[in-house]
Amino acid sequence: MAKIGTPRLTDSRNGKGGEIHTSVARSLQTGVGRAIAHHGEFLQGVFEGEDGRLHRGLVTLPLVGCQAVATFWPREEGRIRTRPAKRSKAARAAAMTIEHLGLAGTGGDLTIDSAIPVGHGYGSSTADVVATIRAVAAAASTRLRQSTICRLAVAAEGASDAIAYGGDALLFAHREGRILEHFGGDFPPLFVVGFRTDDSGPIDTLRLPRARYNAEEIQLFRVMRGLAYRSIREQDPRMLGRVATMSASICQRHLPKPRFETVLDIAQEYGACGVQVAHSGTLVGILLDANQHAGGQSAVTMANALREVGFRNLETFALNAEGIVAT
Amino acid sequence: MSEPGDYLQAFETPRLAQLAANLHTAAFPLMKLMPARYMVDRAEATGHLRRGGHIVETTSGTFGLAIAMLACALDYRLTLITASSLIDPRFKDRLERLGATTLVIDDPAGDGNQHGRLERLQEILDVRPDTFWPHQYDSPDNRLAYARLAEQVVRHCGHLDCLVGCIGTGGSLCGTGAFLREMFPGLRIIAVDTHRSILFGQPAGKRMLRGLGNSVLPANVRHEMIDEVHWVGALPAYATAQALFRDHGLFMGPTSGAAALVAGWFARTNPQAATMVIMPDEGHRYVETVYNDSWLSTLPGWPVAIPSAPTDLDRIRPAAETAWTRFSWNRRTLAAVLAQQQ
Ligand SMILES: Cc1ncc(COP(=O)(O)O)c(C=O)c1O
Repeated sequence: MAKIGTPRLTDSRNGKGGEIHTSVARSLQTGVGRAIAHHGEFLQGVFEGEDGRLHRGLVTLPLVGCQAVATFWPREEGRIRTRPAKRSKAARAAAMTIEHLGLAGTGGDLTIDSAIPVGHGYGSSTADVVATIRAVAAAASTRLRQSTICRLAVAAEGASDAIAYGGDALLFAHREGRILEHFGGDFPPLFVVGFRTDDSGPIDTLRLPRARYNAEEIQLFRVMRGLAYRSIREQDPRMLGRVATMSASICQRHLPKPRFETVLDIAQEYGACGVQVAHSGTLVGILLDANQHAGGQSAVTMANALREVGFRNLETFALNAEGIVAT
Repeated sequence: MSEPGDYLQAFETPRLAQLAANLHTAAFPLMKLMPARYMVDRAEATGHLRRGGHIVETTSGTFGLAIAMLACALDYRLTLITASSLIDPRFKDRLERLGATTLVIDDPAGDGNQHGRLERLQEILDVRPDTFWPHQYDSPDNRLAYARLAEQVVRHCGHLDCLVGCIGTGGSLCGTGAFLREMFPGLRIIAVDTHRSILFGQPAGKRMLRGLGNSVLPANVRHEMIDEVHWVGALPAYATAQALFRDHGLFMGPTSGAAALVAGWFARTNPQAATMVIMPDEGHRYVETVYNDSWLSTLPGWPVAIPSAPTDLDRIRPAAETAWTRFSWNRRTLAAVLAQQQ
């Protein structure tokens, strides 16, 4: 990609903007950005921040193999056109990023090429938005800090998940776009057998009513957060699996997954360490300790068992596990 | 919580120390700050406690001290109801220095006269219905507050096989135990009580070891969570508190001594079991007694040899203040155990 010039990171509101914009627009190039999907969450609830107040937060299960790619072709004219059409959140994210970079007035064509299914809890919308922000930054030959990307993503779509941080293990305030706690290590090695519990169609995540948690759940979240921290410290998949199962069980009160008990039974039968869900989606994942189930053979037999009782769209993937998962 | 009482948050955090290869302790300066602060926070949030409001509670001591510290920091008026057998003039002075009003009820039987205290409390509530009563005996908030402790234990120690703690209201052991058992379903929970406390089926009587045990049954005691019960007499509890100071530099109160005695034995006899013991308060309040040789020398049976193991009971019964007994409760209800004892 030919580099034409370095943009000046000027705030467009500081007056003598016009000339800068013209010269800057000319210095832009085609930019490409990527973002990964996720497979719902290990944990979602409300958590105390450093300010002593409660914040909605989550720990995302990254799905590294599934990505959205955004390409941004800048033009001097002020509109953003998207392909596919009507990706309004991504268009808004592009405009906000342009504004943030001090390039107000710049427009362009934004293409989104995503392998991420919409509306099941894979975070397709956030991935589009994050890929777009990165693409626009790349067009200006710059890289934004992860915290800035999150802030822009929340501004563009009202919520975000932690995928701007890639596979980092952290507790993320998704309505605010900031980190509540960085767990300071990788997730322990897991195989995940994922599937959708409901084929009645996609869910509009942002339209879901926000869960109201009772005092007991709020206190339990505190301890679950502690165990999530510890699972990463000790690289213990079982502890993280326990957290996930508890969070999924609490979620049953708010957005119940059909046949959840059947899933729990199968998980137990195959010696899984837990069950996670997309707290605002239809996804469920059974977690296997990748150390204990090396080679992923159990993942395959368990997937067959799930298929037999009627679950569809099964997929198996690894998180921080070395070696290949048989499918 | 809002700013004024925030310094107490650090105060309510226990020191996590290792006593043996498989035994940790959460040693509190003043454990009761944890439920007291949670209850006051909740009462503020739900509108049960308004600016400048009035709080009343019945207490043998440490909860009273905790809530008095909070009330003072947050500008609430406080009335504490206690019994003559439970409070000494110095401690009363300490509470009043924090602005609390103390009502000391007569206690001829020496069992804490909880009935008399509750009657008196009800009179106050009748006259002033806007008074906030934290109700540490029966309010589930007493148990829920200990999520904070459970979180610290999980972060610090990870997997746990056994939790040992005193039972007075039941809040600390049943609260912490419930949260930890959610994380570690196989967790064993051991309750530490004292002779002549009615909590686990003994007849009421004069108790020498104060702070744990009870003469009435709080709803926060969840019998069906408890795997085994130990009744520790005052003398081995005092002696173990002294040993904690000598061997570990932990200057704790006598109920901590009782809990440490039981936990030390369990950890020794189950070397594979990761064990945690909760220690509720420090020794300063007991310098004239537990840490005073001339006071101790007036006690029949002192000096006492600390037993190396408890005496197993088939039938629940009181024992001497020098004794230490144990009963396999097996997560039964009180009614089920009492029926089997008939
Ligand atoms: C010194 C001391 N130890 C132990 C306890 C028992 O704790 P809980 O009431 O949580 O059962 C108390 C409670 O009053 C106490 O003050």
